Amino acid sequence: MTRSLRTALVKWVLLVLISLSVLFPLAWMAIAGFKGKTEVLSSPFQFFPEIWNVQNYVDILADPQFARSMGVTLLGAVIFTAASLVVNSMAAYALARLDFAWKRFWWVYCILPMFVPMMAILLTSFVVVTELGMLDTLAVLIIPGVASSVQMFFIRQFYLGMPMALEEAARIDGATRWQIFTKIFVPQSGSVFVVVGIGSFLAFWNAYVWPILTITDPGLMQIMQFLGTFRSERGNEWGLLMAGSTLAALPTIVLLLFFQRFVVAGVRISGMK
Amino acid sequence: MSITADQQPRTMLGAAEAPAVKRSRPRDDLTAYLMIAPMVILLGIFVMWPLVYAFYLSGFEISFYQAPEFVGLQFYRYVLEDERFWASLGVGLYYAVLVVPAGMFVSLLIASFIKTLSVRMASFLKTTIYVPAVVSTVVASVLFVFIYQDQGLANWLLGLLNAGPVAWLNSPALALPAIAVPGIWLGLGLTTLIMLAGLLDIPDSYYESARLDGASFVQRTWYITLPLLKNVLLYLFVTGTVAALQMLDLPLIMTNGGPVNATTTPNLFIFNTFRDGSEYSVSFSLTAALLLFLVLGGISALVFRLISSEKAIDG
Repeated sequence: MTRSLRTALVKWVLLVLISLSVLFPLAWMAIAGFKGKTEVLSSPFQFFPEIWNVQNYVDILADPQFARSMGVTLLGAVIFTAASLVVNSMAAYALARLDFAWKRFWWVYCILPMFVPMMAILLTSFVVVTELGMLDTLAVLIIPGVASSVQMFFIRQFYLGMPMALEEAARIDGATRWQIFTKIFVPQSGSVFVVVGIGSFLAFWNAYVWPILTITDPGLMQIMQFLGTFRSERGNEWGLLMAGSTLAALPTIVLLLFFQRFVVAGVRISGMK
Repeated sequence: MSITADQQPRTMLGAAEAPAVKRSRPRDDLTAYLMIAPMVILLGIFVMWPLVYAFYLSGFEISFYQAPEFVGLQFYRYVLEDERFWASLGVGLYYAVLVVPAGMFVSLLIASFIKTLSVRMASFLKTTIYVPAVVSTVVASVLFVFIYQDQGLANWLLGLLNAGPVAWLNSPALALPAIAVPGIWLGLGLTTLIMLAGLLDIPDSYYESARLDGASFVQRTWYITLPLLKNVLLYLFVTGTVAALQMLDLPLIMTNGGPVNATTTPNLFIFNTFRDGSEYSVSFSLTAALLLFLVLGGISALVFRLISSEKAIDG
């Protein structure tokens, strides 16, 4: 065997080994979902199910609360993602390209929340939304998180890199700033919107602490809240729980695989997270 | 790797103070204010006001009839004198020690490996390594609780080594390390990709000349990679530590702080105190959160300045 062939073989083996060990916990979760009640935690230990049984997946999907939570979380996540793209990209454009009074002040104001740890405002945010009568509404899940310093910052970085010439030409043709934003900047923002939008979607889909504080209505119960509750109330039904967790993790993984090119590049585009 | 586009805003921001004569085009005050308004208002209601409100509730007492009075420093004293607060900080630091260096070490190894791969193989591995990063902490928590069951996977693996079984999450000594494992797993993707971006910025010529001089992989890593990766490593170390100190979800779901508070991180201590219910506990937890914020916010602002003002690599 030649040296280069041996190197290639070693690389392939390592590649497969690393991938398998990183993905293994997720595979383990999915496999457990296919196991029957008696074999999911059995002694002697069983790696694979005796019979691959989809019963757990069928049962959890038939649970009205699970289906409802998946749906309402998906709905919220889509609205949340769209709203945050609109709000943050507008501010990003103004802060990147426009010249206005008190700009420096507003820049610091918009970027400051990046340095405020979640816990410092979580408790009083809860007091605020309580006083605003927002508890147990879809709005309380969506609105407080829409404006995001991190996202605004990355979209702004992207806009700062767009060539000035394009904008100057449109100015000469008499386009307003708003037209320049909607007709030139937004259509060019595909890649950065995908990266930032996935960030929003994941943040909403995976949220747990904020929903358990603000939502008690089962009709609005979020999917992660559902899993947390299921774990504390029916914690010994591992097969069902693992099937539910697998299904709850699936949309995020599919999203990543679908847009992996953008996401992986996004870490680089955005500099350091 | 570095955030370089900052040159432009500085001149643009400077223009606000520059004499009007030098300006060649009119300002866009109205458009600009309309465009930032939604963000400014939302941040005002849901970030700035809660923050001010937290400081207010934790310390100041303001009444209509007299000047604002500073009465509430005692809450800060209560928190600082509370052993449970310091114990939770200890747990947070221990968690950071368990998660950050190990995560960075594994990430560096994987990133170094990805760098040697062909484009297609590299892109495959970059994606698989990132999959855990999109999985929620709730799913990770539930999954690892399952793995740590008495008859679960972890004990089966121990059994293969003729050891165990161990009550992972019920043992004060093992519970936090057991929680650190999903912590590392969730963070691996992002750390590796940032590390890889840093590695790719190091010129290949450095490695080639070292190879010609017969340097081994370990020598190349020690004498070339690590020094040139210094700023990336510093960034990952500090942000990783700040994030680890704020860990809430994993211990909340996996152990709820137990056994005997061995996994009560600072945020979990604050969160559980807040949910106690009594009025005293609200002020107390707010004050504890603010004390934590002053330290963590200070650290991350400092790092942000460092990163955006300097090039990531001074090679």
